[in-house]
Amino acid sequence: MRKFTATLLLGASLFAGPAMAEQTTIGLSAPLSGPQAYFGTTWHNGFKLYIDKLNAEGGVNGVTIAYEQEDDKADPREGTLVAQKFCDNAQVVLGLVNFNSGVAQSTLPIYEDCSLPTMTFGSNPSLTKQGYKFMVRPVANDLAGALLPAEYALGKLGAKTALIVNDKQVFGQGISEIFAKNLQDGGGKVLDTIAVAPSDVDFAAVLAQIKPKKPDVIYLGAVMPQLALFAKQMHEQGITATLIVPDGGYTPDFIKQAGEPNVQGALVAIQVPPMDASPAIADFAKLYKAKYGEDAGPYSIYGYVQGQILEQVLKTTKGLTREDINAALHAVKVKTAVGELEFDDTGELKVAPSYLYKVEGSAFQLVGSK
Amino acid sequence: MLGNLIQQTVNALTIGSIYALIALGYTMVYGVLRMINFAHGEMFMLGAYVAFLVLSVLVGDVGMAGAIALTVAFLVAIFLVGFIGVGIERVAYKPLRNSTRLAPMLSSLGVSLSLVTGIQILAGPQPVAFPSFFPVVRYEVMGGTITSMQIGILVAAFVLMFGLYFLVNRSRIGIIVRAVSESRPTAQLLGINVNGAISMVFFVGPLLGAAGGILYASYYGIMSPSMGAVIGLKAFTAAILGGIGSIPGAMLGAFILAFVEVGGTALLPIVTHGVLGTEYRDVLTFAILILVLLVRPAGILGEAVSEESIVYKREF
Repeated sequence: MRKFTATLLLGASLFAGPAMAEQTTIGLSAPLSGPQAYFGTTWHNGFKLYIDKLNAEGGVNGVTIAYEQEDDKADPREGTLVAQKFCDNAQVVLGLVNFNSGVAQSTLPIYEDCSLPTMTFGSNPSLTKQGYKFMVRPVANDLAGALLPAEYALGKLGAKTALIVNDKQVFGQGISEIFAKNLQDGGGKVLDTIAVAPSDVDFAAVLAQIKPKKPDVIYLGAVMPQLALFAKQMHEQGITATLIVPDGGYTPDFIKQAGEPNVQGALVAIQVPPMDASPAIADFAKLYKAKYGEDAGPYSIYGYVQGQILEQVLKTTKGLTREDINAALHAVKVKTAVGELEFDDTGELKVAPSYLYKVEGSAFQLVGSK
Repeated sequence: MLGNLIQQTVNALTIGSIYALIALGYTMVYGVLRMINFAHGEMFMLGAYVAFLVLSVLVGDVGMAGAIALTVAFLVAIFLVGFIGVGIERVAYKPLRNSTRLAPMLSSLGVSLSLVTGIQILAGPQPVAFPSFFPVVRYEVMGGTITSMQIGILVAAFVLMFGLYFLVNRSRIGIIVRAVSESRPTAQLLGINVNGAISMVFFVGPLLGAAGGILYASYYGIMSPSMGAVIGLKAFTAAILGGIGSIPGAMLGAFILAFVEVGGTALLPIVTHGVLGTEYRDVLTFAILILVLLVRPAGILGEAVSEESIVYKREF
């Protein structure tokens, strides 16, 4: 049956030309349940928002866009199953995949094998260094994400010493090593690097070891809910160092679960601009709230931007095969809500924006951008 | 240095007393039924969720004052979970009591999965912020920091453990439970209400587990449907280490486990000059468990292989 539809579609595209109503399918994969569900669902919602708008206008050059959404549970084992499913479905021509670097690490070879182009969200720098021909990353990698906080710590905070804690995962360990390197390059000193287990909830013993070292800043390379737990216990043990965390902390849950007084002054680095940064972004925030009845999530804007990239790809592509889409994706140059984006040979953004926020009260205040 | 020592000791005592409350449930059930109750970790999770629900009703709908509401919520939740425990035993374990030894264990695995999934559907899979049951005040003791929360947890856990000690060793109910645990057929021949004793165990175990869950959630400020899995495994390890079936053994095992974990975190990088980091804590912990079991297969305070367990072995 699938083959039959595929042949039918192929026939349609051969004989009918672009004016005929066609459909193309995008595979979406991210954590939709579990502690990181908020990130995955709101990211996808941003994408759907744009796609629904395109479809309502009649699609791009007569091509309407369908999507298939799957839950990878932030787990590489689930992610590879989803990847295989998308690969086997001939309708799927593009993947909007894997919020987590650790998951992307194991799914990218599968997508590569079946020539399915992906816009990958995992931010570990090594992902684009493995020679994949079918992936691009429409978001800043951790090299950019960990540079801004290191500069801020040395410059604005006047920090001289830092202590690094990570959860030994692809993302957490990767980004904290980059932070440490940036800090040392800028003249800072790393007192110690401590690894914890990714499922740990009790950091009291680790914190008791950190306390006498008296670092100026503590960088925690981990995800939620560990970020909130660590912040809370750190404050309860009376450690006054400034806590710096990666993008996972950019959620109201970080402040709520840690307790508001426990996270004041903590810094969160993320690739997302504030929702009032430009008229285009403000428009997006309004549309999002109107459609979903809640404020846009941390990465919703990137879902929306990926929709804009897809629109441009469909405008310029020669056909709707995976190969054609891939060629158009790598050559794309498009003005989006976060600025003009284009990819280099490895699939990395040529210019990648990154931002730094500080927790004040129950909100995030922008303190720096790059 | 001294401050650090004091602080790490308090850290270990706090986490150890929570392990102990849960480990007691595993060991008591094993004592009377020779069965591992895999659903016990979920009693710990239910404790937190039920307390949260009761608390939001009391404060939100009834408008009760904070401190009283917390106490009421704590008591209502642990007793409610105790009754849930009795209900689960009646429905899922009792009909299987005379079948093979594996049947009730599989049944308990099923109960465990159902409870986790049920809570995931009802309350959502994401972690939820949990209110603190004690006002958090920091005390500086010779350079170490101790919070009122840690003291509160220690006191609550020790009160409960002493309560259990008196119930088991000084009350008539305790005598009955011990008799059933010694030998179920003999107790039955002597006219003891065996079902009553088993229900009692399935009431007290989940009650203590639920108390552990509430203390834990309020210590870390967070609860999630899957919180019972990791901590349940740790408590189960503690029960085995101390000698499963032995009540003092479960408490001892829990504190040993906690001290090894905290000590491992604190000392591994120092002793090995940074070769092994704190992430090797669990490797150290379980290496010690294996060593103990090699020397004393029944656990530290466990009884040596009894006639009864030989009978069970023949069944396999």
